[in-house]
Parts: sequence; C-alpha cells; structure tokens
Amino acid sequence: MQLTLEIHPIENIQFGDSTRLQGTTLFVDADDLRRLLLEDTSLIGVEFDIAQPGESCRAGPVFDIIEPRAKGPDSSPDFPGILGPPHTAGFGTTHVLEGAAVTMLREKSPGDSRGATGYVLEMSGAPAAGSRYGSLHHLIIIPHTKPELPDHAQQKAYRLAGLRAAVYLGRAAFNHSPPSSVTFDAIDPPAKDRDGLPRVAYVGQIFSRQRKPELDEQILYGIGTDGMLPVPLHPDEWLDGAVLPSYHTSLGGAETYFYQNHPVITELYRRHQGRELNFAGTVATIASANNFDRERNCRFASNLVRSVLKADAAILTKFGGGVPHTDLSETARLLETVGIKTAVQVTDLARDHKVESALLFNFSEVDAIVCVGGNSTSWRVARAERVIAASPELKEVLTGPLEMESLNVIGVANQQGASRLRAMVY
Amino acid sequence: MRIVHYLNQFFAGVGGEESAGMPLDSLKGAVGPGRLFEQLLGDDAKVLLTLVCGDNYAVENQEEMVAAAVQRIREVKADLVIAGPCFQAGRYGMAAGALCAAVQSQLSIPVVTAMSEENPGTDLYREMIYIVDSGTNAAKMRDVAVMMMNLAQKLVDKIPLGLPKEDGYFRRGFIRDRFVEQTAGQRLVDMVMAKVKGEPFESEMVPTTFSPVRMPPGVKDLSQAKFLLITDGGLVPKGNPDKIQGSAATRWGSYNIEACDNLKGEDYEISHGGYDPQFVRQDPDRLVPLDVMRELERAGAIGEVYEEFLSTSGLANPLSNTRRMGREMAEKAKQLGIDAVILTST
Repeated sequence: MQLTLEIHPIENIQFGDSTRLQGTTLFVDADDLRRLLLEDTSLIGVEFDIAQPGESCRAGPVFDIIEPRAKGPDSSPDFPGILGPPHTAGFGTTHVLEGAAVTMLREKSPGDSRGATGYVLEMSGAPAAGSRYGSLHHLIIIPHTKPELPDHAQQKAYRLAGLRAAVYLGRAAFNHSPPSSVTFDAIDPPAKDRDGLPRVAYVGQIFSRQRKPELDEQILYGIGTDGMLPVPLHPDEWLDGAVLPSYHTSLGGAETYFYQNHPVITELYRRHQGRELNFAGTVATIASANNFDRERNCRFASNLVRSVLKADAAILTKFGGGVPHTDLSETARLLETVGIKTAVQVTDLARDHKVESALLFNFSEVDAIVCVGGNSTSWRVARAERVIAASPELKEVLTGPLEMESLNVIGVANQQGASRLRAMVY
Repeated sequence: MRIVHYLNQFFAGVGGEESAGMPLDSLKGAVGPGRLFEQLLGDDAKVLLTLVCGDNYAVENQEEMVAAAVQRIREVKADLVIAGPCFQAGRYGMAAGALCAAVQSQLSIPVVTAMSEENPGTDLYREMIYIVDSGTNAAKMRDVAVMMMNLAQKLVDKIPLGLPKEDGYFRRGFIRDRFVEQTAGQRLVDMVMAKVKGEPFESEMVPTTFSPVRMPPGVKDLSQAKFLLITDGGLVPKGNPDKIQGSAATRWGSYNIEACDNLKGEDYEISHGGYDPQFVRQDPDRLVPLDVMRELERAGAIGEVYEEFLSTSGLANPLSNTRRMGREMAEKAKQLGIDAVILTST
C-alpha cells in the first residue's frame, strides 16, 4: 500500500470562466460546477460564494468541510463506496489543493444541541484564530433541495454535492507538477532497521450509536455502521476518503477535512518518518448503544490492537457526546490490562466548569488524558459585513453581533485531534 | 488595603501547647508574619487587626469562634483576610480554612491562607478557597509569605489568577479553557510516548473519586412493597408542563399514572437531547416499565406501584444539580413510605 499526496498550495480562490489552477490561485467556473452538481435531481439549485481568511464574513449552518482532492489515474477511487466502487482507499496519487476548502451549508438550522446557528464558519477575529478553518480559502456551496425531500435524502444530497465539488476542484491540479509531494514510509511491514521502536496504534471512533444513523447515511466506504464491528484500517484509508463524518450535528466535532488531514494519524506518521516510533496501524470503531454491544466492541477493538497490530501503545479518540467516553475508557482499560500504554482524548460536557463533573470515567490505568475544552469559551462576535447562508432568516440569525460558543465555531472544539483548546484546571 | 490576619497562639508568640485552650482574642496592628505581609504589600497595606486563637479552642468551638471572628472582620471593614500560614499544623489549618470559607461566603471579600498538602484543612477547604502550598517547613516563612501576598494582591485587584502551579496554590477544581500551541493530536502522541518511555507526563484532566454508596438491605416482602418508578430518560407528559430542560436539567417532575395500565406514546414526549428517543416515543413503557409493573401488581408479586412516576433528564448535568435532585427525590420517596424504587436510564 503506497499513497502519494501531491501538494498544490492554494492562496486564493476566484470565480472565472474556466476551472483551473494558475499558480496558487484556483479559478472556479461556477456554471460548470453547478451543471455537475445539478445532475443530482434532489437539488433544484446551488449557489456559490467565496470566503477568504481575515474577511469579516460568517457562513452557516455548516454541513461539512472538505479539502479539494482528486485521485490520479491508476489509483484507488475518489471516496470509494460513495462516489466510486468500494475498493480499498489509499493507493496511488492524490492531488491535494492545500489551503482550499469546500464548505457545504445546510438549508435550515439543525436546531438541536448546536442551537439556532448550527456550526458557523468564522473568517476573522478570535474565533477564526482558534480554528484551522479560519485560515483556509473556502468555496462555499449553498444548496437548495427539492421541496418535501425527507431529511435523510436532503442530507445525502449535501454529502454528495460536497464530495463531488471537492473532487471536481481537485482535478484542476491534474497536469500540474506539484511544488511538493508526500509519501509516507511504509508501515506494513516495517523496515528491518526499525526494529525496537515502540509500535503505536490509533483507535478512532467514527460514529456513536447513541443515535441511529440516517437511512442511507454513508460513513465507512458507503455504509452507515449498522452491525459494524471494530475493523483494522490502514492509516492511508482514513486520509484518502474511506471515512466520513455523520450527518448528526449533535454528534459534532468531526469534518471530512480532518479525516483527510487526520491530526492523530498525520502526527503518528510524522514521528514514524522521524524514527521515533513505528506506526502500527489503526482500528476504526463505534461507540455502542448498550452495554452488551459495548462489551463486544471494546474487546474486539483491544484484541485487534494487541493481536493484529501488535502495538505497544495506542491513542484513542471518541466521536459524539457523553456515552462514547464509556467505550473509549473501557477499550483503553482493556489495553492497559494487557500492558499496552494508552492516551485518550476527551471533551468536557458539563456546564459547571468543575473537575468533579468533567470526566465520565475513573479507571486508575487510564491516566493519560488530553482534554479538549470548549465549554467555557465563548466570544461576543461583531456584526459580520458579509453573511453567507441559505435563507434570509438564517442570514438574520447569523449577522450578529451575537454570543458565539466555541462549540459552535466549526473546528474549534474538533474531536479528531485538531483542537488547540485545552481545559486547564485551576 | 485594610487587612485582618488570623494566627494561632503559637505563631502569635503567645505560647505553645499549654496555651492551646485560649479563646479568640484580637490585637491591634500586625503581629509576627503580619509585619512581613505589610512589608511585602507596600505602604498602602495595613494589618488593622490580628485575631489570635488557641488551636484547641478553635476546633472545639469552631462555629462560635468563626462567628465572632467574622463579626470583628465586618466591623473593621476589611478588604482582605489572611490566615496562617499554617504549614502542617492540623488544628490551625482547620480553623484557618473554616474562617476563610465563612468570610468569603458571608462578606464576599478575598481570603488567602497557606498550608501543606498533608494538612487536613487543605483537603477540607481547597475547593472553596485559595490555599497557598506552604510545604511543611516553617523556616520558609518568607517564601510562603511572598506567594501569599502575590495571590492576595491579584485577588484584591481582581486580576485573573494563573494556574495552580504558576501561582502556588492548591488546585480548586475549576476548569477554564486555554488555546495552546499544540493540537490535541500532538499532545496525545507526546503523552503516549512519555508513557511508553516511562517519562513523567501531565494528564490534562484528573478523575474524581466518589465515596461508595452502601448497598441497602433487600426488600423483605415484595408482595407488600410499595414501588416508585423514577427515570432520567426525560419522559414528560405532552407539553412538558414542568419545562424540564433536555440538557443540564435543573428540575424534575411527578406525573400521575394512577388510572393507567400502560403508558401511551401519544400522551408523552421526551425532553432529553442525548439519545435516540424514537423507541420510547413508540412505547414509553420501554423507559418507564408500568405495563409489567401492573402485571406483577395484579399477580400479587408486588404490593403496589405508587400513583406517580418521577422524571428528569440526565444529560450533561453538573453533579451539583444531580446531587440536589437526587436528594429531593429520595426525600419524597421517604415521605411517601416507598419500599423500593426502580430507576431507569438510557
């Protein structure tokens, strides 16, 4: 398995009469892209907008953010199981428009625990500085679906449009030689001269069964995790389109962009390259709906880390809300009992900002905890000069000035490992 | 800055163990460490009053001593109360902690004390007040005083404190977010590698330990027992009459089920944002099992089901809320003479 990322830096996006890459500027032919997206008959219209770093600009509610990428010839498919056949992801060449993003909006506020604004893309000020997304150049897609479309079909239309647009833009890099490219040292099998380095694995939850996935929801190679057991994945599969976040915003903190640029996986790769460790591989798992499933899933996951990946250490991250901490900590506990060292990432969900309410488990073995805060950070944001949203009502909600919780600013309290927030104990 | 300082008999220079029974006394001006405090805080700071009390007297008559001390502090209109430093003197630490906690809650003025980690006063009061880590060595009086006054000055000037390590106090258990240079992914890899190499690492969160709940004796005779059904799954009558919040609920409700053989989906809704409620919506008995309880009641297997069930929403709720609601529910069950409670969660 070998993946080469050809990196094309993007410093500007503009609309133009043809979609092309010119230096570090990406020109987008809006009519051409619209024609492509409207092939999906669930959509009756799409609008586009551009948001640049530093602009007084706010967009939302955000459905997903995707890095424009396209697979080269003789490579694995783009988003296998969704846009292409469900062949193994992570082979061949991927053209990456680094610094650019496709940001897919929703037509209505999700109205659940994310509140009336949903996830917001903020391009200036402190909230933008707290999110990687504040420094990207966004092509924003405002979808308009057929009336009376059921929720799941509506969201599937958003998903497909976002991914198609990302691939379409990525193809602008075809026939351009990239200023840089990345090929990671093979992890499997590791080179002989790497013997003795600690083997470190990653165990990532990709969904939480505290919710049923929507009908037709596509999370792993096009399936919705129904009946899923923990499964070993090559790290390149995560980076190359095998895994997508759920539609459920209440289970937030994950976007396609940070699967493509997975913060834990890329960091493990970096240190693998630096010969500090051997990247042992990954396991994709889910948080369970009940204890019976939890027992089975946690054991499967820890057995895979131990017997298949033969790891000495593992990093675990969760997906969703409070319950997934149980699966996370139980898996870590099982690993620790067989001598595999762990570090886990949690979020603080209680609103009293007190240590006594923060942690949802207490195993003496599970003692290396990274805590992404979010609950005690909010900003009073000014009126935005430009608001991008699907309806006048949403624009009004988003215009400001308003109080914006960090959990609502997309990217700030990310659960995939991208967050720079840290809960400090005073 | 008007300061009142609390000392035990020993540090006030009155005497040792033989004087531990002396009642609360107040001396004008600074005594012992108080002079050092004045010096460190500068010209503007004056210790108006030094309260002195024997260690035994203070712990044996704590309530009375604290009340009298608070009264004197109120009278002199202090801006700041300092107690100690107590180092590892246990009785001294308990008295200093109790006094500081009372002053803070009753007079809302800044308080600072200092103790060693082993001092029982630290464990008792660290969550309520700022306690500087004095260590156990009283010869370090000057260093400890510097830390105490630095903290005091910040509290008086309302400058946000640094981390416990930075400002030398014992962790109180408050969480505040901070943006850091490294992403969570980088922090995770750092931490796991430190663990693998056996190097020290600092966990970003610490677990809370809870005292175990004693298992009550079993119900002697189920056929005579009165049952109460309680859920934290957020089941409420249509319209949510008590407006129980779907997250971090501060309220709970009691809902009549007297004339009811089983719960019907059309009569109820769910106020809980943390689970997929469709199955409970179809049949609320899946959450509050009234149907099977009625069968058992008819069969004579249980005595009776109480005419109301209790409900709240158990999502993202601070412990302070859940403790209070739990106590209120237990109190109600006790008053009603309930023999057994079935608690269902999601």
